[in-house]
Amino acid sequence: MSNKAARNLFILGSLFFFAIFLGLTYDTMGKLDKRAPEITEQVNAGKMVWHKYDCIGCHTILGNGSYFAPDLTKATERKPKGYLKRFLMDPKSANPNASMPKLGIRDEEADDLIAFLDWNSKVDTNGWPPKPILAAAGGVAGKELTEGQKLYQSLGCAACHLINGIGGTTGPELTTVGARRDRSWLIGHFKNPEEYVKNSAMPKVEAPEADIEKLADYMITLK
Amino acid sequence: MSIKYQSQKIAEYFYTFAVVLFLVQVVVGIIAALQFIWPSFFILNFNTIRTLHINALVVWLLTGLMGATYYVVPEESETELWSLPLAKLQFWATVVAITAVVLGYIWMGLNPQANSPIMGITPLNEGREYIEAPRWADVLIVITVLLFLFINFMTMLKTKKWTGIQGTLIGGLTVLALMYLPGMFYTKSMVKDQFWWWWVVHLWVEGAWEVIAGALLAFMLMKVVGARREVVEKWMYIEVGFVMFTGILGTGHHYYWIGTPGYWLWVGGIFSSLEPLPLLFMVWDAFRTTREARNVENRAGLYYTVAHAIFNFVGAGLWGVIHTLPQINKWTHGTQITTAHGHLAFYGAYVLLVLAMIYITLPAIRGVKAFNASRAFQSFWWMTISMVFIVLTITGAGMVQVYMERLMGLDYVAVKANYNMWFWILRAIFGVGFLIGVGIFVIDFFRLGKEPAPAVTAAPERV
Repeated sequence: MSNKAARNLFILGSLFFFAIFLGLTYDTMGKLDKRAPEITEQVNAGKMVWHKYDCIGCHTILGNGSYFAPDLTKATERKPKGYLKRFLMDPKSANPNASMPKLGIRDEEADDLIAFLDWNSKVDTNGWPPKPILAAAGGVAGKELTEGQKLYQSLGCAACHLINGIGGTTGPELTTVGARRDRSWLIGHFKNPEEYVKNSAMPKVEAPEADIEKLADYMITLK
Repeated sequence: MSIKYQSQKIAEYFYTFAVVLFLVQVVVGIIAALQFIWPSFFILNFNTIRTLHINALVVWLLTGLMGATYYVVPEESETELWSLPLAKLQFWATVVAITAVVLGYIWMGLNPQANSPIMGITPLNEGREYIEAPRWADVLIVITVLLFLFINFMTMLKTKKWTGIQGTLIGGLTVLALMYLPGMFYTKSMVKDQFWWWWVVHLWVEGAWEVIAGALLAFMLMKVVGARREVVEKWMYIEVGFVMFTGILGTGHHYYWIGTPGYWLWVGGIFSSLEPLPLLFMVWDAFRTTREARNVENRAGLYYTVAHAIFNFVGAGLWGVIHTLPQINKWTHGTQITTAHGHLAFYGAYVLLVLAMIYITLPAIRGVKAFNASRAFQSFWWMTISMVFIVLTITGAGMVQVYMERLMGLDYVAVKANYNMWFWILRAIFGVGFLIGVGIFVIDFFRLGKEPAPAVTAAPERV
């Protein structure tokens, strides 16, 4: 191959592949809005808050950004919105162990940001992030789950609490909670956490009385 | 070694600014590494430190490449620069713009409310990774880059010697300038925001920048081992051609999970898997060419050139391809695996490239016949060994993270603060090793040619 032929191959080939890329980009642009919910004024305002505080300097969203703090794509699915709002405005009041600094996010900014995060959680991402294999497996080693264990999963308690190393770290660990609390305390606490723990960031457990009792029964087995 | 055209000396201005920013980048990098262990360490939060770390990286590499271009273009065109005063103006405009942007970042870091939007635009920090520079700075940067391209283009026009090397170099730089534009408008949709953002980031580092690297590699092989122009230019075209053929559609590997249609899994998976190939050509090219070399005067330059080719392949190629298939990327996307790839890729592909260009052109600029290369080798080994271990520790952290967080379902913070802690500690230690290497390099940069040359140069060795 002569130098000139190599040069032409480089230039024309690059243009060819760029043309394909442009075509795919055009097609993609026409499809993106259908793969995500409508963008309201509040969602857009939330996006400006996201940029203003340079959230991406620590967090990822849709998996892109910094890898210093949790990915926020599904933040509103993983944590109750009331908790998120409180955390955004004053992280340590919601979780004393939080590393996130208090940035001065105002009340309405927090609402807008949560609307923006909620929008992101509903984008069709081709199934990302995938459900963890172990957590999705449910019952382990063929053992049937108790009613209380099923409720613990379906109510999303593990988003904030740890049991035997599995779960979130924003709330207190529950591995030995049965040794610390009795049944009536647990039931009362589920119905109104703030009455039992001052400034608790935990939302009320919205479930029928019978389910709350089953959940408490499960808790007291954890010793 | 000496320069043929006086205006080539402008390169040293850019190199000096680049070297200072390199030092800044590594110092803030160590602060960031310590914040992984103690999040509240230091007056500025992690997001500001990280913004400084990655912006300093991009800017010092770019100014280094600008300096290299100002050296290469007069040499290839066989004439003085079209306008030296304008080139100096462009240099100082760049310094002023970058300094203003950095002060803005620090101000925002100390007082986040200072970044409150004015007429819908955040004035100090756009809050978009790598392109945090605010809109007013974008405009200044575009003006200085256009001025830079204009000066070089007019220089080439003076003699109309359209050599392949300078044509490819200017072509790559023009694409680089054009690809800054997709990052300069606001979109309400976070999906579209990231879609266009990747045009900038991916088409820079896996497109335009690799083309520039290919052109400079050809130039360096000619300079250091006296390789024949016809041969290096032909291989350069083939290399940069394959960079573009695989890299353009390889952008698809960023469009798997951000809300884009499913066909990108195929496009990105196939083309990005091929991206290491042109980088492997470059390694082969470097070895084949240097094996024939008889009398190499500038052994430090040769060393860095070949190391650049090797670590470009290992960092950008191998460390990228391991997690580029959608089936794997589904689990690794957004984890420390990406950080590991980013570190080795930038070090191999671009840090070593700019340092190689400095070692090849600086002695000529300073009119030095021979220089003591011992510090160049010392800094190379301190930096390279440290970087390899930094990358291995982050890769280990990433593997633990993928397994525990993504597969087992443990909480992100639990994994980061407990199971990854030793990786962070080791990474910070190797970071200090890297800083030592950079320190030796910075000393060497400022003293090269300014102290008496040694009577005996280091024993020859095979590269």
